[in-house]
Amino acid sequence: MPTIAIDAMGGDFAPETIVRGVAQASVETEIQCVLVGDEAAIQSVLERVPYNPEHISIAHCRDAIGMEEDPREAIRTKRDASILVGARLVTEGRADALVSAGNTGACVLACSKSFRIIKGIRRTAIASVYPRQVGHPGQDPLALILDVGATVRCEATELVQFALMGNAYARRISKLEAPRIGLLNMGREGTKGGDVLAETHRRLQNHSQLNFVGNIEGNHVATGEADVIVCEGLIGNMVLKLVEGVAEVFANATSQAARHRLRWRVGLMLLGKALRQIRELTDYTRYGGAPILGFENMIIKCHGRSNADAIRNAVKVAAKAVRDDVPREIAEAVVGMR
Amino acid sequence: MSFRFRGRPSGAGRTQQGRLVVYCWDLDKTYLRTEFDTVGQLLRVPFQRPEDKVEVPGVVELIRALKPCAQRTGRTARIFFLSASPPQIGRAIRAKLALDEVPYDGIVFKNQLKYLVRGKFHNLREQVGFKLGELLRNRHAQPADAEEVLFGDDWESDAVTYSMYADTLARRIDLAALRRLLDRARVDPKVAEEVLTLAATVEPADGVRRIFVNLERRTPPLSFRRLGPRVVPTFNYFQTAAMLHADGYIDRAAVVRVARSLVERAGYTADHLVNSLADLCRRGHLARADEIVIRHRLVRDGLLRAVPKGGTVQRLRTRVKVGLRVLGWRWRRRGVLDASSIGAPVDYDAVLAELDGARRVRGAK
Repeated sequence: MPTIAIDAMGGDFAPETIVRGVAQASVETEIQCVLVGDEAAIQSVLERVPYNPEHISIAHCRDAIGMEEDPREAIRTKRDASILVGARLVTEGRADALVSAGNTGACVLACSKSFRIIKGIRRTAIASVYPRQVGHPGQDPLALILDVGATVRCEATELVQFALMGNAYARRISKLEAPRIGLLNMGREGTKGGDVLAETHRRLQNHSQLNFVGNIEGNHVATGEADVIVCEGLIGNMVLKLVEGVAEVFANATSQAARHRLRWRVGLMLLGKALRQIRELTDYTRYGGAPILGFENMIIKCHGRSNADAIRNAVKVAAKAVRDDVPREIAEAVVGMR
Repeated sequence: MSFRFRGRPSGAGRTQQGRLVVYCWDLDKTYLRTEFDTVGQLLRVPFQRPEDKVEVPGVVELIRALKPCAQRTGRTARIFFLSASPPQIGRAIRAKLALDEVPYDGIVFKNQLKYLVRGKFHNLREQVGFKLGELLRNRHAQPADAEEVLFGDDWESDAVTYSMYADTLARRIDLAALRRLLDRARVDPKVAEEVLTLAATVEPADGVRRIFVNLERRTPPLSFRRLGPRVVPTFNYFQTAAMLHADGYIDRAAVVRVARSLVERAGYTADHLVNSLADLCRRGHLARADEIVIRHRLVRDGLLRAVPKGGTVQRLRTRVKVGLRVLGWRWRRRGVLDASSIGAPVDYDAVLAELDGARRVRGAK
């Protein structure tokens, strides 16, 4: 069973929700979890919830990096921060992957400091799953979008590498033979979107390893035309937050409608099962977190406001990624590219 | 951190020699992995053959070690089983114990049929009165200076019943308070009168040393804190064995035997063992020095992969600690709970009210 290091002090509700999530994972799975953080704080939460001690160990450290802190400064000054210690555990071979809901910048920097980037990869990318329309029975209701925040602007080579990394991840995790790759752009034509996107389009179209389906426009992101969507971090982050925001507004609007009129309330009750399914589909906690791809080791970055369920699922995703050896798949794909 | 010389080998130095130790075990969910979560499983229990009954991993090796270890330190151990199951399944249980080659001195069942015939259905599920009565009855048959170590689980009310018994015996609960508590626990008046009579006539003694609770349902350990440091919730029998070793009831070889049985028959790994020990330390039950000694022995016996990592200074420090510990030195660290120092009195009214609430929630589910 893989061993997963979890940054217990990172996140809006740390260590409470992080420890609770890990406790759930310890009871439900055989995954070995190493909680990294203040031992006394972790233990005080652990004793209040059902857990399996056989699957949990604690790596004590004194510092933690807050969500609002400047990542560069914090990484430089807090040598014993939980995210840094967690990353070190992975590089020392005492854990196979890292999970953190902490400061994203600090996460990326800590991993850059400790992990080696796969040979040939120029920049790492955060890949996130999002719900999409299912075209046929058995189709995965989730698609992958990368990058969603590790970068701001990218060059064509980097976007092609993102496509290769997303392709490898979808092949291993979603078990797709030939994932359909789309490039997020403002039009279908290959020349749209400026020089970088046009060049990326040309290279992806000529790439023998990839099943490139062309440009994807914003209105088709959720229709399921592509299994992996490639974009710059700035755009990807905005798309992801937009999807989450729309889902939240939808949920709020329906509950408000139910409050106003009895007839609407009855209607919503009749639609209850369908609405629950939609809510489940758009519930980020089900997907755990987003892998940061491009390192030789796996790291799963969770939402800062992750609850216990999200952390539990992130631990499971990390273990699955380790078992399926995603970094090796990416490395092999990059070797093919060179 | 301070330490003091005890002058006796580790594991044998903490209990007084020459006394009788009484080990009292609950059966279902403590010794046996009895499944009665559903009505179907409950109905199947009486028809199970001895070889179909499954014991909790490590329990057999642990019980087998109790008598020989006591003998080696010049003491006598008596082992009793206390079960809320009806005597009708006694034959299968006795056969199972014989099959496991577990030595024991007595076994008590609850006469459920008696209550069924009288229509006292509440008594079928009520365990506080039954167990308290039987523990007191058993105490009457033992010498006044006998030590007791009790084993239960987190399914019913073992921890609170055993604690009430310990405090009744030590006269920390007087008869009037006991009457009130039995009433609160909705113990049948006839059973309650019997318990009170036994409590009034038992020789006072602070005899209960430890109460182990097998966390079969993974109840959060914090729930047991209010019962004091005497109660040790454990997640597996390796943890229980480690605590019994630290208390001086079994030797290191017995702890290794329990660990080995878990590894060989229950799929435990080195990580599981190390994590289990560390968990006991973090909860304040096991001293770090005891953890180091046990880990060292497990490494020596090939159950752990490697010696603890660290630099030369750390390795040297560990070796010195292990050496001194084996010679009988004890580290007293702040944060380790001492079972002999019972702090604030237990608020049994609150504990029983909580237990009742939890039972109602389970019933509603």
